[in-house]
Amino acid sequence: MDRALRRRLDGRFSDVLTGPIRQRHDETEIRIGPADVAQVMRALHDEPEFRFKFLADLCGVDTGRVMQVVYHVGSDTSPDWIRVIADGLPRDDPRVPSVTFLWKGAEWQEREAYDMFGIIFEGNRDLRRIYMPPDYTSFPLRKDFFLADDASRSPAMGVRHLEQVHAPRNAAPDDVVRQATSS
Amino acid sequence: MTTAQHPGSHASADDPRVTLDEQIGVFEPIPPYPPRTEREAEFYTLGDGEMFINIGPQHPSTHGVLRVVLKIRGEQVVDLDPVLGYLHRGVEKLCENADYHQAICYTDPLEYVSSLFMEWAPVIAFEKLLDVQVPRRAEYIRVLTGELNRVMSHIMFVGWMALDLGGLTPILWGFIERDEIVEMLAGVTGQRMLFNYYRIGGVNGDLNHDFMSRLGRWMSHATSQLEAELALLNENEIFVRRMRGLGVVDSETALRMCLSGPNLRATGVPFDVRRPDPYSVYPELDFDVVTRAEGDCLARYLLRMDEIRQSIRIIDQCLHEMPDGPVIAKLPRLLRPRPGRAYAAVEGPRGQYATYAISDGTDQPFRMRIHDPSFVNLQTVGLVMPGNLVADTMAVMASLDPIMGGVDK
Repeated sequence: MDRALRRRLDGRFSDVLTGPIRQRHDETEIRIGPADVAQVMRALHDEPEFRFKFLADLCGVDTGRVMQVVYHVGSDTSPDWIRVIADGLPRDDPRVPSVTFLWKGAEWQEREAYDMFGIIFEGNRDLRRIYMPPDYTSFPLRKDFFLADDASRSPAMGVRHLEQVHAPRNAAPDDVVRQATSS
Repeated sequence: MTTAQHPGSHASADDPRVTLDEQIGVFEPIPPYPPRTEREAEFYTLGDGEMFINIGPQHPSTHGVLRVVLKIRGEQVVDLDPVLGYLHRGVEKLCENADYHQAICYTDPLEYVSSLFMEWAPVIAFEKLLDVQVPRRAEYIRVLTGELNRVMSHIMFVGWMALDLGGLTPILWGFIERDEIVEMLAGVTGQRMLFNYYRIGGVNGDLNHDFMSRLGRWMSHATSQLEAELALLNENEIFVRRMRGLGVVDSETALRMCLSGPNLRATGVPFDVRRPDPYSVYPELDFDVVTRAEGDCLARYLLRMDEIRQSIRIIDQCLHEMPDGPVIAKLPRLLRPRPGRAYAAVEGPRGQYATYAISDGTDQPFRMRIHDPSFVNLQTVGLVMPGNLVADTMAVMASLDPIMGGVDK
């Protein structure tokens, strides 16, 4: 645990944090709203007191109530990993700014998060499905997507395998992408 | 006589109405649906004198099942679009529906060349969730077997890379070394490739006589054998001139592309997870983080060769400092960690293997993210290839050393 890092984060980002800073083992966790992602990641990447140049991981999480995008960044200035959780994305239309302007290598990871969760990364030039076929319509890692042999867990609906249940109303997923990328 | 087509009948190859093109399935590069993104529209629009060629998904140099659509002008690559997903098995979803012990088994086949690293990351993440203290002997055994696996993986890298460039000898020589290590690890883990050896809180079984005697025999000639094998390529003028200055990535670009592992260190960035964020007993061991400044294919090759030498150093220290004691912590059979989140990264032969696990208090992970370095590293091909020759695509792709099992998850 890096106490100094905690103080620095608290001082720099006190106005955008939506929860307390948590530290456990070698991880420091901050929570922000989706609107502040670009600003916070740019500060962590560029400012000399942080210099978190290494994007270790980017993934989506479906908590069942809201969606999250979780970034792990590393640096040579601190032994800790910083976990930035962009929290509170609405499940019917999750949107978050892309970080490809800092890390071009995040492009495929964002495509993966879009493919698995349907999270729209605004500013990603190539947001299309990466693993699933192009005509696939659902998002497999969402919590309301049940495996065929896992029907006992579903809420009295039986198997809903490969069924489209989560796209925003009146919009095919492809339309959503085109709106996101054209604006 | 009219030939009324029966609605259920399929056109056969003998049918004269079926053209030869339909029989062999001609490659249609442009997808049969409207472009989904700006980038896709731009890529699938041909400029003056440009054409598409297709590599894969079944091609020996794609190291698995990868399809790459190349846009070329003459012999030069203008742009390329890798198409993934042919091996996608949805492992993250499967892990959410398995308990903590079962989830580790799913991660093995993702990385079928260095599977110990792929299981190491989730094991550490689960141990963080459970606050388990791993016995020191188990940690040493993990480092010892892990470094053996790294040597094995880098030896295979040399073989594959030479094979992609047209040299058959190194892979045959490499298999001699690899087989000794594989047999050695099979002696202690019971498996030849998908070891499934690390457990939450330790390892499955102590080192045995079979393993130790094989290891001793291998260590006695490992260095000299390796140097002889590397001399095949290091002093081969055709190989060196082909690789030097090809696929250059500078350090800024490498960080921007999220490269990790040998591919990152070959550009001069001394980032090795074992140093800034040490796990296991690496802080107690003496080894160098090797870097090279050039960032080309030759640097990526030579850096991996240096890493083999460092790994042999670490194995030697492990054997001398291995303590006695238990090899696994006492844990209940059914694990229910308290709700929380844990992230663990390990430095593997291809880069940073990582797992982000979320526990909700039940016996199954609520979310288990598996980060594979091959997936991230493979993007760099699209960045460095434009302007190079078509034949160099294989060399650049081989030097990045992707494993498609991990890329497609």
